[in-house]
Amino acid sequence: MAKAFNWQLNREVDYPYEPKRPKRQFAVVMDLNKCIACQTCTVACKTTWTPGRGQEYMLWNNVETKPWGFYPLGWDVKLLELLGGNKKTVFDAPEGEVVLGWKPDDLDWMYPNIGEDEVNEPVDVGTVLEKLPHPIWMFYLPRICNHCTYPACVAACPRQAIYKREEDGIVLIDPERCEGYQECVKACPYKKTMFNFVARISQKCIGCFPRVEEGLQPQCVITCIGKIRLMGFINPPDEAKAENPIDFLVHIKKVALPLYPQTGLEPNVYYIPPINVPLKFLRQMFGGGAEHAVKTYMAMRKGKEPELQALLHLFGSTPRIPYSFAVGANEVIAFDGKGKEIVRVPIVEPIQYRPHKDERLGVVRQDIP
Amino acid sequence: MRVFKLLPLSLVVFSFSLAQEIVSKRVQEVPLDPLSKVWDTAPTVNVSLAGQSVTTPMQLKPSVTKISVKSINDGKYIGFLLVWEDKTRDSFHLVGKFSDAVAVQVPYKPSADTSVTMGDKNQRVLILHWTAARQENIDNDYSDVAKIHPNYAYDWYPHVNPPYKYPKDWANQYALNYIGGEKVFRKNTLNTPVREVVAEGYGSSTWKDVQGAEGKGIYKDGKWYVVIKRAFTEENTSNPDWGPGKTTFVTFAVWDGSNGEVGARKSLSYSWIPLKIEGR
Repeated sequence: MAKAFNWQLNREVDYPYEPKRPKRQFAVVMDLNKCIACQTCTVACKTTWTPGRGQEYMLWNNVETKPWGFYPLGWDVKLLELLGGNKKTVFDAPEGEVVLGWKPDDLDWMYPNIGEDEVNEPVDVGTVLEKLPHPIWMFYLPRICNHCTYPACVAACPRQAIYKREEDGIVLIDPERCEGYQECVKACPYKKTMFNFVARISQKCIGCFPRVEEGLQPQCVITCIGKIRLMGFINPPDEAKAENPIDFLVHIKKVALPLYPQTGLEPNVYYIPPINVPLKFLRQMFGGGAEHAVKTYMAMRKGKEPELQALLHLFGSTPRIPYSFAVGANEVIAFDGKGKEIVRVPIVEPIQYRPHKDERLGVVRQDIP
Repeated sequence: MRVFKLLPLSLVVFSFSLAQEIVSKRVQEVPLDPLSKVWDTAPTVNVSLAGQSVTTPMQLKPSVTKISVKSINDGKYIGFLLVWEDKTRDSFHLVGKFSDAVAVQVPYKPSADTSVTMGDKNQRVLILHWTAARQENIDNDYSDVAKIHPNYAYDWYPHVNPPYKYPKDWANQYALNYIGGEKVFRKNTLNTPVREVVAEGYGSSTWKDVQGAEGKGIYKDGKWYVVIKRAFTEENTSNPDWGPGKTTFVTFAVWDGSNGEVGARKSLSYSWIPLKIEGR
């Protein structure tokens, strides 16, 4: 076992291969305060990548309701049990194993929307939700492959059929090397590798690499009608750049947090935690940074974080990958890898006032409130 | 560190097998049928198996610990009859479920110095791997969605016409993209239950371009009876140095699907057993 530095845990973790960060690391930030579980991302991914035979049950992108939703069944509850909360990483494996994991049964995959819209506990008569966080709560958790810096699937594959790309950090399974042993399915703590029993190979989210290669964000990101997602490339914290939108959210403002960072994998999908949810749950799910993230987000809502507020306007505003951004007077501008402007988004759009009576035509307008 | 702790266990097995020898009897023709009378001419050799404990992931509690082996040859083909006890018949390779299987390993150069753990750099081995799931495909049609989940419902598959029969209607490029490409498709549509792979060390096993091995497996009274048959020399591909009148070496591995055994999780014979091939 080699030692790999995990900045999310601020310590070294054991990893079976020599750690090597890719030249660029694929990362997505998702603002959970804005997700409405419309599943447009799920459908976009499904129709693009998994409409085939043997893929019927597969959702490379799924949206589950927390706390009672899971895909597959109980995935994170089982993970927390395996890790003893946060006492182990998945590389603290028992004898004969590479990764501490569990294998979902086919029935575990059959209820992708279990627990939908269910709140944490029964609501008493007369309950009023007037303060944040709410005593009665739920939120939606959209999930794709985390394209981890230290992927458990890569570590577990005895055939070295899984690899992490040097150019963008996207983790892919080579279908021609894969023999369907499902070691990756067992190993991935987020359960984002899936077995296709017709093709007899394992398959997973490919980070829409053909789009990323063209400088475009993935399907699930650009189709999001709630504009909750932004894809870009993240740097390690010591190389963080304030003008990089992902670095700004994750490293500078620290509002976007990894999912179950105690796995030790350095997952690269970062979540802005929902402010209606009690901190105890958020800490369990997103680690110790939850309180700071919620406070910063609340401050932004009061207008005290203008740069952060401006940047959130970039979410869902361009299909192109923003490498850097700048905030102008009432606008936010995104630039591509060559520094060329790709989009300019107004922060407050100009108000058009249309009176009820059109004096010029002498008619009354029907289409205004 | 873990490896060394377990090595003594495998050495016990090693010393047992040294005394063994398999003689491949010369016959008129090697049959595919495991129940054929022709097999009676060959002596039975019982081989001990132990869980794979050299590399991760390991199988520390294997359910199959012995296999009986017979071999015959007809000058052109060599055949192995492999019989082992397995309480459960696992004929499917599904989500979280694995198939029973058996394999014969032969070194390219007939030397017992070849690394027994699937060879090593410049120590290539040939592995003939029979799986119950492939046998099932051949005997009872491909294990497609409709066969495994008869009550399934699905709105629409792109680029294919109902009733969506895999693999027959799936050989168009668009559909292939969704099931892993042409190479995967070719692997799945192989019309023999035995695949040929070569390896130079564990983790390196790779399908041969030419797949000539044949076989047949029958499950009867709690036992698998499997025949693996291959020409000593196949055209247009590499072959081990073996044939009538020569002596080479073999090892065996067994997988019990319902015990979670697949890939590296298997039981195997840890030392080369001499294989004396009769004839000239």
